[in-house]
Amino acid sequence: MKNMKAQNLRTLSVLVIGAIIIIGFITKIGIGNLSAVGIKNLSLICPLGAVETAIAARLLIPRAIIPFLIGVILIIIFGRFFCSWVCPMPLLQRWFPGLQAKEKAAKDAADAEHIEAVKVDDAAVTAAQATVEEGAKKANSFTLDSGTWVLVGALASTAIFGFPVFCLVCPVGLTFASILAFMRLFQFGETTISVLLFPAILLAEVLLLRKWCQKICPLGALISIIAGLNKFFRPTIDDSKCIAASKGINCQICHRACPQGIDPARPATSEVGLNNCTKCRECADACPYGAISFPFMAEKKAEVAAPAAEYWVRYRSELGFVCGAGSDRASPANQKGKQYWDRGSGRRRRLIRWRSK
Amino acid sequence: MSRRSFIVGGAGLAALLGIGGIAKYAGVSSLLRPPGGQDEKRFIALCLRCQKCREVCPNGCIMPSKTEDGFVNARTPKMNFKLGWCDFCAEAYKGVPQCVKVCPSQALKLPDGATATSIKIGVAVIDKDSCLGWLLKGCRTCVDNCPYDALTLDENNRPVVVENKCNGCGLCEYVCVSLKNASITGRSKDRAIIIKPLN
Ligand code: SF4
Ligand code: SF4
Ligand code: SF4
Ligand code: SF4
Ligand code: SF4
Repeated sequence: MKNMKAQNLRTLSVLVIGAIIIIGFITKIGIGNLSAVGIKNLSLICPLGAVETAIAARLLIPRAIIPFLIGVILIIIFGRFFCSWVCPMPLLQRWFPGLQAKEKAAKDAADAEHIEAVKVDDAAVTAAQATVEEGAKKANSFTLDSGTWVLVGALASTAIFGFPVFCLVCPVGLTFASILAFMRLFQFGETTISVLLFPAILLAEVLLLRKWCQKICPLGALISIIAGLNKFFRPTIDDSKCIAASKGINCQICHRACPQGIDPARPATSEVGLNNCTKCRECADACPYGAISFPFMAEKKAEVAAPAAEYWVRYRSELGFVCGAGSDRASPANQKGKQYWDRGSGRRRRLIRWRSK
Repeated sequence: MSRRSFIVGGAGLAALLGIGGIAKYAGVSSLLRPPGGQDEKRFIALCLRCQKCREVCPNGCIMPSKTEDGFVNARTPKMNFKLGWCDFCAEAYKGVPQCVKVCPSQALKLPDGATATSIKIGVAVIDKDSCLGWLLKGCRTCVDNCPYDALTLDENNRPVVVENKCNGCGLCEYVCVSLKNASITGRSKDRAIIIKPLN
């Protein structure tokens, strides 16, 4: 199990949850679907559904408050894990590469090329370029994207028309609605155009809106907002293993692997904030050096660098020095500093920002 | 946020406003909801389409609405008295309506102390052209089955509904034999007695 790729684990997780819901369809336990899932009158409620219905009815639904808050707590602890481990949409998009198959092949090829280039770089370390930056920056932990506007649209439309509008076209809802429509067709001979219409809308979303999860999904956007409070299980770089942090090589392997466009190795300069991380572990799987892990809480990188490092920063900034290779290797004086740093591994400050090539 | 993001976000925002508007007014029919869902405006605002009510009904008389009932209604629960009838869970759960109990958003909600006689799902309506009683074939299946004495026979032994006693439980529709006698009753797709929504 431990060596299984995260992608396979995610597939398994989504399929198992799907199977449980399908069992619910034909039993009387009252499992429900992902809009509200649980047993009988105990359910977790979809956070977007809860907000939408509250707006549509202009009323706080007493029964939904506690399930909603439990959802919020889960998001605070696990971030957008739902998007990788529960929601069927990413799996469907993987199964149906659709019209973008060529683009995907091109990206895969470019990624492979990049990995090769980094390998060569690593062998001949001197080629790397880095600029020194004083002091570590805080990780960029919160950004919003276009999905937020879609979320605003969903809520506004719900307020105007008085029903949860997004639910009608939600790919999660449509996935299970399609399955249910098919099951009822065979079970009761229930004929309805839903059998064709639901899969058709779903397929259109899967095939045409390839960046659905990153750019469009209002549910993902809502979870991202709440996940601003998520500080746990974040992708965390082991600076001694990461060749960008330790050797100054412009390695973008994890950045390229991230479906959300996060740059886990350089969170301070990542355009996409860590609140959008779906904990999919693609980055960790992609890193050839095993530098990325998801600890419950990241060990705090020391706010003030070790004395030798501080000295080195001052030394370089006073000289206006821009090193040609990785910073820790640029001068003989650094050897001491480097040793010191290595001993204090994990407590070092990230000093370096890499100029992208 | 990049300009591209603004365009994508704006397009999505507009699309959802459009979907809301179209769904609201395109081909919406009023439907027979499970107990506690009779205030249609409130119901449609709150229902998450989670299927829980349908799943737990011990009598299997709830079905997901079709797209033909209006896109906004699709997947919401409606009663199907061909599959079963509603005894307000008297037999399986001592009269505690399970659909109401499990509904996570309280789209189905009954006043405290509601009973089978105070709840009204809908009301029975007889189609005089296909009812065997009205075709003077002497059928009185529904009259004999109604648990609430809401059906009586008129002077010609034809069944009539006593509307203030009928709570729309659907047993009459469930037992109605008219469709099994298609040679007599013609090509009607519905049974001769069906439950209609109150409004
Ligand atoms: S962003 Fe939306 S569609 Fe994508 S995985 Fe998350 S909930 Fe599912
Ligand atoms: S940072 Fe890593 S775990 Fe998070 S979404 Fe990106 S690839 Fe997945
Ligand atoms: S009250 Fe009970 S029998 Fe009637 S519809 Fe609800 S779950 Fe079914
Ligand atoms: S249980 Fe409630 S929210 Fe779920 S489908 Fe039934 S009426 Fe709708
Ligand atoms: S007339 Fe039919 S629906 Fe009305 S109470 Fe009697 S059996 Fe139930």
